[in-house]
Amino acid sequence: MSEKQEIDPATVAAVDPEALEETAMRAVREATSTEDLDRVRVEYLGRKSQLKLALREVRDRNTGMQLNKFREALEMAISVRQEELRQLELDRRLAEERVDVTIPGTPVRRGHLHLITQIRREFEDIFLGLGYTVVDGREVETTHYNFDALNFPLVHPTRSPLHTLFLDEHTVLRTETSPSQIRTMETQEPPVYIVSPGRCYRRDTPDATHTPIFHQVEGLAVDEGITLADLEGTLDYLLRELFGQERRSQFVTHYFPFTEPSIEALVSCHICDGSGCPVCRHSGWIEVGGAGMVDPNVLEFVGYDAERYTGFAFGWGLERIAVLRHGIPDLRELWRNDPRLLRQF
Amino acid sequence: MRAPLSWLREYVTVDPSAGEIARRLAISALEVERVIDVGVPDVDGNLGRFLVGSVLEARPHANADRLRVCQVDVGEGHPRQIVCGAWNFEAGATVAVALPGALLPVLDQPLREVELRGQQSRGMILAEDEVGLGEDHAGIMVLPRGPEPGTPLHDVLPIHDQVLDVVPTPNRVDLLSMVGLAREVAALLDGDLHPPAPQDPPVVDGEPVVVTVEDPAGCPRYIGRVFRDVKIGPSPQWLRSRLYLAEMRSISNVVDVTNYVMHVWGSPLHAFDRARLAGGRIVVRRARPGEELRTLDGTLRRLETSDLMITDGERSVALAAIMGGEESEVGDETTEILLEAANFEPIGILRSSERLALRTAGSNRWEKGVDPYLAEPAAVLASRMLVDLADAGMTGHVDVHERLPERPVVRLRPERTEHVLGRTLAAEDQRLTLEKLGFEVNQDWTVTVPTWRARDVTREIDLVEEIARPILDAIPHTMPLRRHVRGRLSRDQRLRRLVEDVLVGAGFLEAYTWSLVASDPDPAAVRLPDPMSADQAVLRTTLLPGLVDAARTGLDTGAEDLALFEIARVYLPSGEQLPDERWHLGGILEGGYAETKGVLETLYGALHLDLRVRRGSHRQLHPGKTAETDAGAFGELHPCVLERTWGAFELDLATLFAPVPERIVYEDVITYPAVRQDIAVAVDEDVEVGALVEAAHEAAGPLLREARVFDVYRGEQLDGDRKSVALRLSFQSPERTLTDAEAAELRGAIIALLRARFGGELRA
Repeated sequence: MSEKQEIDPATVAAVDPEALEETAMRAVREATSTEDLDRVRVEYLGRKSQLKLALREVRDRNTGMQLNKFREALEMAISVRQEELRQLELDRRLAEERVDVTIPGTPVRRGHLHLITQIRREFEDIFLGLGYTVVDGREVETTHYNFDALNFPLVHPTRSPLHTLFLDEHTVLRTETSPSQIRTMETQEPPVYIVSPGRCYRRDTPDATHTPIFHQVEGLAVDEGITLADLEGTLDYLLRELFGQERRSQFVTHYFPFTEPSIEALVSCHICDGSGCPVCRHSGWIEVGGAGMVDPNVLEFVGYDAERYTGFAFGWGLERIAVLRHGIPDLRELWRNDPRLLRQF
Repeated sequence: MRAPLSWLREYVTVDPSAGEIARRLAISALEVERVIDVGVPDVDGNLGRFLVGSVLEARPHANADRLRVCQVDVGEGHPRQIVCGAWNFEAGATVAVALPGALLPVLDQPLREVELRGQQSRGMILAEDEVGLGEDHAGIMVLPRGPEPGTPLHDVLPIHDQVLDVVPTPNRVDLLSMVGLAREVAALLDGDLHPPAPQDPPVVDGEPVVVTVEDPAGCPRYIGRVFRDVKIGPSPQWLRSRLYLAEMRSISNVVDVTNYVMHVWGSPLHAFDRARLAGGRIVVRRARPGEELRTLDGTLRRLETSDLMITDGERSVALAAIMGGEESEVGDETTEILLEAANFEPIGILRSSERLALRTAGSNRWEKGVDPYLAEPAAVLASRMLVDLADAGMTGHVDVHERLPERPVVRLRPERTEHVLGRTLAAEDQRLTLEKLGFEVNQDWTVTVPTWRARDVTREIDLVEEIARPILDAIPHTMPLRRHVRGRLSRDQRLRRLVEDVLVGAGFLEAYTWSLVASDPDPAAVRLPDPMSADQAVLRTTLLPGLVDAARTGLDTGAEDLALFEIARVYLPSGEQLPDERWHLGGILEGGYAETKGVLETLYGALHLDLRVRRGSHRQLHPGKTAETDAGAFGELHPCVLERTWGAFELDLATLFAPVPERIVYEDVITYPAVRQDIAVAVDEDVEVGALVEAAHEAAGPLLREARVFDVYRGEQLDGDRKSVALRLSFQSPERTLTDAEAAELRGAIIALLRARFGGELRA
């Protein structure tokens, strides 16, 4: 069929702009979908619509203006209706696209840091916030650094191969992180504010509360005017950060070769809050770790002026924190690498 | 050590309860494991239902062969009838009686009046186990004559007691004694101390005691005392009970006395059957080569010349300070004893007891260094008891020693105490604390240390600790001033955390595996000469075997799609005393070479590093699917190692981190668009795609921003041993928009080089 079409003057003459406007506007209002509306647009504004034909044929200015005005109004009405319908259709579609929100998501493999790493980082972050740096120690140590420089008496039980793993007469797997105190102090002048985490080794038969390899964090502060009060204040802060602000600390006497006075830090029992229960053996308190004022012999050993400088040190077991805080019933679990356990933390 | 409170209170008068004493001791003196309630319950006047009784009559029961009907005076005016099953007493015996209503630890309900085969029984005559004073149930307790019938039994025997279970630190051997504990309690709780001070028995029919110490360094003091007419027998009930509560076994009066006195003074003693000593002599010397001794436990001990021996001049009779010999053991036939109250040097004793794996209550004290001055009060108390309890006569005494150690004198500056503790503390309070603990403080603040602390307190800081101990709960909590601090992780520590976080983000679980392993691929790996077990004998040089074990554990639990990593030390043999300890990163994941390399690419990308690889080899990896980088190796796990397909990697962290850039400098990758072109080149099968990419960069220079292999095709359209490699080239300049002509020129240069170097034919 030819694109060109003969125009029938009779038809043109028959156009009644007002009636046409009314019919068209009604059709726009009654369109119930965007598709409907498209049909309305073609019918009333399309190339073959009465309006287009009339516009093509019209000769007098007034009728032309009237028709144009009608066209503009109709275009506007269609566009408004178009928007309304689009919104309605979107709402309808979205209402239909409901999902069961309780359906599980598509799994994404998620990794986990080992609990001991998490606690190590927590320790590091607490002390980084206090202005300490983190230093790395050695695990294989000379008896010089592991014992002599730390003021261990010759009769101290830890010097015995019954308690310590020796490589030869002068070489051991370090029994605590304390040798890193010496190595740090040997390489820098005071002030020293460090923590040093790492693996330690003792000849302990594995059971629920012992593994021959375990982790400690050493802390050391040496400066002018460091006091026992500073040590207690620092450990009180540490205990609350680790175990909760509502917990309380207590410090009791102890003995370590490398500190004098030596203390043990206790935290109020999380089960009974200090009133006594089987977990804390009816004392209300749970031992967390050892500490003390750096023995002057240790300071002198590294060439510090023990009159001018004082210091404190502590060495806490990370596994102990895991047991106390997370209820790990058996330390060996931490080495089993069972994914079900690793994913818990 | 067990310290019954009734015993402790004999030496120190102090008001506070057991709980308060324990609390104070725990803060300021030693670890208190627990406070144990023993004996009969102290509730509702229960103790009043236990009385001393006197047996007036004990007749056989007419209707029961094993029972007797007793009339017992318990001070009520008329005797009580009690039916009793024990036969170790007769009329006239003083016994312990529980009245009806009494609560006993061995009964579920209060004691009742009962009729036993027709005879009323209105109470119970007690055996020691029935009131928690021992384990003997062979007969009832027969008490010494003395207390009137009706006397509360609690006045005579500790039928209700609390026992402190304490663990002194190794520097406080003085607290391994009742007197030492009493002294500490007196000082900490303001009590009055009155240690036992019996009269030393006189020497009768005096005879010389021959003691020769050939090794005064090992044995600085030896008191030898001889007793004759010794009557060996059981110990009286009070002694049996005390030993029982202190966790020691009652053996005989003589042996019990030595153990009791050790517990009182902390200085161990030994009693020899003197008739078994050649010439009744004692010679203290080191063991001879090849010498042997059968100790009291029946074991034949092979001795070394470093072992200190008690001998009679001819042969050894005891392993000094550790255990007596079987031959000279005091037994029922003994009538003559030599009491040893000596002092031994700790180090040798420790070495001997460790080597022989023989630790005793005695060696446990000696190895910590016992005060040589204690030998004397211990000898006196033991002598008094031997005379009183074994009816013996002391016939000789000798005290062999060289000059005993002087008491240390230490200068204290009270202001130094304040400086170390971080609080004010009046000088007079400091003096008072020291004096209560037995120190003598002179006007000029020189302090004389008591003999029992002479090894432990030798410096000003030791005195500061003595002053600090009682007030550890009264120290303020402050923070160091920290005028110069810099709290930041080092570069490598930050990168290590980044690696951990990237791998966790990639779904890896962090494993912890043992640094000590059964064997290591490196034959030179450091080996423990005396490992705890064959499983933990070598310091590892690689993390992979541990991770393989961990993966196997995961498989056993049914885990799917497992990925594990570990960051830990390896210990590389260095040829020097200490191995080269290096941080390694190891990983294992279920998947093939491509998945593994993808993880490495992610990791390197996070570190802003290019992953450059070359073909490599590794014992645990698939020989055809192993790559090397500067920092280590990765690839597919050798199929023999683990079922299913796994990838693994192990990198040296320091090497990995070394080229990580300090900072990333801005590069304009936005303003001027990149021109992308794909090419496909057919090359021989053995040409590695990595070499093509490298050549592309070489040919095009910095304007080639990226060349990425996106397809490798092998098939019919190619000659047999050739493959087609598709590369996506991305040309970009930070300074201008590249023209098509420039891009075409660069592309041409790349194609030319690929053809020249690899015979590559352009396919598209």
